[in-house]
Amino acid sequence: MKNSWLLGCVLLITSCQIEVELPLGEIKGEVPVIEGIWTNNPNLNEVNVTLAKNYLDQDSYTIIKDSKVSIRAKSTGLVIPFKYSEAAKSYRPLNSDILAIVGETYELIVEWKDNVFFAEGLMLEPPLLDSLTYQYEEERPFRDEGYYIKAYGKVPFKENNYYRIQIIENDTLKNDPQDYLLFDDTFGLSFFERGFELGYAFDLNDRVRIILYRMTREPYNYLNQLLGLLFSDGGLFSPPPQNPDTNIKLISGKSPVLGYFLVSPIISELVIIKEK
Amino acid sequence: MNRLALRFSYKILFMSPIFYKSSFFVFSLCFCAISTLSAQEAAFFKGQVLDVTSSELLPGASVYWADELSTGVISDSEGNFQIKKGKLPRRLVISFVGYEKTIREITEKDIAKFQKFFLEPEELSLEEVIIRDRRPDEQVKNLATGRATMPIETIKNIPALFGEVDLFRSLQLLPGVQTAGEGTGGLFVRGGSADQNLVQIDGAPVYNASHFFGFFSVFNPDALEKVDLYKGNMPASFGGRLSSLIDVSLREGNNKQIRGEGGIGTISSRFTLDGPLFSDKSTFAISARRTYADVFLGLSSNPDINENSLNFHDFSAKFAFRLGEKDKITLSSYQGSDFLGLESSFGLGWSNFVSSLKWNHSYSEDAYFDLDVYHSIYNYKIEFDDPENGFEFKNQLSESGIKAQWTLLRGENLQTYWGIHSQYYHFDPIALIPAPDSTIESIDTNPKNGVLNNFFAGMTYEISPKLSTELGLRWGMFNQIGKGVDYTYSGGVPGQDVTITDTLNYDTFDNVKFYQGLEPRIAFRYLINPQFSIKTAYNRNFQYVQIATNSSAGLPIDRWILAGTYVPPIQSDQISLGFFHNFNQDKWEFSLETYYKEFRNIIDLRNGASVLFTDNVETELLVGKGWAYGAEFLLRKNQGKTTGWIAYTYSRTWRQIDGVSQDQKYNPRYDRPNDVTLVLNHEFSSSWSAGLTFVYSTGQAVSFPIGSYQADRQSVPLYSNFRNEDRYPNYHRMDASVTWRNPNKGRKWRGSWNASVYNLYGRKNPFAYTFGDIINDDINYDSSTDGPVTSVRPGIIMTYLFTFLPSITYNFEF
Repeated sequence: MKNSWLLGCVLLITSCQIEVELPLGEIKGEVPVIEGIWTNNPNLNEVNVTLAKNYLDQDSYTIIKDSKVSIRAKSTGLVIPFKYSEAAKSYRPLNSDILAIVGETYELIVEWKDNVFFAEGLMLEPPLLDSLTYQYEEERPFRDEGYYIKAYGKVPFKENNYYRIQIIENDTLKNDPQDYLLFDDTFGLSFFERGFELGYAFDLNDRVRIILYRMTREPYNYLNQLLGLLFSDGGLFSPPPQNPDTNIKLISGKSPVLGYFLVSPIISELVIIKEK
Repeated sequence: MNRLALRFSYKILFMSPIFYKSSFFVFSLCFCAISTLSAQEAAFFKGQVLDVTSSELLPGASVYWADELSTGVISDSEGNFQIKKGKLPRRLVISFVGYEKTIREITEKDIAKFQKFFLEPEELSLEEVIIRDRRPDEQVKNLATGRATMPIETIKNIPALFGEVDLFRSLQLLPGVQTAGEGTGGLFVRGGSADQNLVQIDGAPVYNASHFFGFFSVFNPDALEKVDLYKGNMPASFGGRLSSLIDVSLREGNNKQIRGEGGIGTISSRFTLDGPLFSDKSTFAISARRTYADVFLGLSSNPDINENSLNFHDFSAKFAFRLGEKDKITLSSYQGSDFLGLESSFGLGWSNFVSSLKWNHSYSEDAYFDLDVYHSIYNYKIEFDDPENGFEFKNQLSESGIKAQWTLLRGENLQTYWGIHSQYYHFDPIALIPAPDSTIESIDTNPKNGVLNNFFAGMTYEISPKLSTELGLRWGMFNQIGKGVDYTYSGGVPGQDVTITDTLNYDTFDNVKFYQGLEPRIAFRYLINPQFSIKTAYNRNFQYVQIATNSSAGLPIDRWILAGTYVPPIQSDQISLGFFHNFNQDKWEFSLETYYKEFRNIIDLRNGASVLFTDNVETELLVGKGWAYGAEFLLRKNQGKTTGWIAYTYSRTWRQIDGVSQDQKYNPRYDRPNDVTLVLNHEFSSSWSAGLTFVYSTGQAVSFPIGSYQADRQSVPLYSNFRNEDRYPNYHRMDASVTWRNPNKGRKWRGSWNASVYNLYGRKNPFAYTFGDIINDDINYDSSTDGPVTSVRPGIIMTYLFTFLPSITYNFEF
């Protein structure tokens, strides 16, 4: 946004920034962070178990490799064991052929030390993604010039309308806070039928992969709150910062836990921007 | 008005037999007669003496040559004089009691013309009049606790941000009034949040009393007559907010002649005109103010700049009509707007429109009737002109009211009053209207309406010369009414995951929910001696409208909500005890006030709440309680060349709300235990004066991260489960100003220059802290220009505002 300078002037007249030191508190004990993704796409199915660290600690996040991780299909009782993969640095299903099935509720169970953590999620039906188009656009207000992709599809659902779109541009996941595309039906969903323009300007020959998730309210809220936290400047106009509400519960032990469990159908499409 | 009263008193004095009998007058008459007899007309210099403010003729002014003090003349009943000229040039001196002496050099050129000399009332006299408005011993003698009157002249003398004299920023300098942070004008009074302040202009409420996202308040100081701040202990005739009443009165015009004043400042200019309307029975006063940042932006040849706009303006008018000896009608109106526009495609605007009509009737010297009818509208609109996602998002809320009050005096010891105050609230549906080709869908919530009827009665009674009491009772009855919609929830308790079991539609004026509450107001004053009193008070308030937010600073698009089925009215109880002492012939005032206050049913928002577009705000709310206590010390000097005050407040504020901070008590952001304020103003001469303020307060209560973790490929700050356990560094700042007034009193146009510096010693007070990764040890790292990433580490970035910010303002009067 070329006008960010003006917004800055408007809201933070004559403001300046400097790096400072503050007396920060420290984490008491170990706080595990569990991030589980269970989908119908084998490449995305994984569970990360790490430890939180003190804020100014410059070491890498500690990965917990000795957890016992599994996912269980609630209706059938099918247990899908996971094993830590050094290559992926996460837990992967031992049998990658088993995938999430629409309509099934899945339970994540992570055992670590004397603690057992539990979460569940419903595998929803995916929306329809009919086509992707792209078109060159001149510079517009708040948007640079470039090729813009439009997604056309249909959302026939009346509930659980919580979606996320991820963009991989030339093998790089766009993952800055301003890259998040989370939406629900607050503003309706007919825009999906009329063409949903992704707010990124691409260049010729860009390879753009679009990944569409549909999820239940809990993981959506988690991601939404996480995004709010990433954008929070701690200032007067921001709500007091709070950790996102996790959908993972401690069912045995005393440890706190962070993170979320997401069960989602995946729609993945590739577009290569070519001159027309 | 005060200056007029002073002038009238001198005029009456001059015309009175007492004055005629004075030896000075007899001497003057004799001297004048002798002079007249012995001189030729051509040998005289003629002139007229007038008041510079009103151009009123000044009889009785002494006129003499500076080199011949033993001779002189007195201006006659028309203000005219003639004095033997002698050898010119000479310096002519004109003096008059209550006015500043003026000295003008007279040359032969001046003889041919009839000269007018405008005298300016002495500042000392002005101060005396102001103090007479507020008796020197008032703080000891009256029954009020937690009440502060801020003279407009005092506000104008306080050094100001950008030179913009600001009411709220001035009130923040009083003990017991906190600010949310640097650069904001929101008031937090005795532990209450910003929406717990009833801000009213001539009896009509103002729902968003700030310009420019809170940096300035909506009040043009030139338009104001007086400001009273009640820190909770308000009379029974007022109510509707828990924490304070900020009662602002617009200025009435004078009934003598057209008069103007204004100023040209760094970011805005203002102008006020007042005078008689048709006759001396009616007056008008109109004021306007506007910023001009957008004017300068528009002058740029760069379309990236000139297509943007940023401005605010306000306009106020007051008309007063005297209908005989017993009746007076005043009509007041205020309109103010802000607008922020970017690239001709995005616009955010908000405005207040407030009007009130008052009728004051005197049945007799001891019985009065006051009728106040008002209407207040607040609205905002966001427009986004975009082919894909264009929309218009707007909302409006209004309050209409009528208040009738009867007052009856029984001797000097008993004053009683009673009345009724009816209010009607209408909150429009939140409306999001897509542009014609937009892909988003419209949002239209349901309206909310409420009626609040209050009956009130009170009395002030002097039980004995030492003991007085003020008793009052306000009975509020609130109905949330149709037209509208209410919802029922599974289990009866709303929540985000709770199913809506029914939707109830209400027709116009159908009752949705009823609340009522008694609000007793009790105060006692015991006079230990004429200079020392003790006061105590108890006060209960109910509030039926509030803002659903958990940020500290207000935004123009904040969602106001009414009490209803799931949102009970908020309630406060406050007890206070104060010691008041005047000394050195009332030149100095000292006060110590302590208070304890409890809040019930106050709200917060659940984590990640979204209240802006929903029709089910109740699902986003958490309800709890709060309490606050404190001690406020104030030492004030009201008279002399140096005036001002020093104040110290120790206060604590707590909240306890299920669902927040592990259900444990916590401090809201504006809990700032120690607060020191110094305000000084010194008159060096009739031309030069200076002001100085210093503020110090404990840093805001906030949450800093204790750690970080990785989620969704992000490094996410980790916070304690307990809210606001950390503090910003202590805040302090010094501001200074110097004012120079034109010493030439002989001119009707009087100008003055004010130069001020905000944050004199450049203290870097934090506005915000950002916790994030610092790349390549550069807090402004930009991947497109700063090369590859070589290092990443966690860091803390502080944003600060306004270090050593000078400004200059030219003020004028005519």
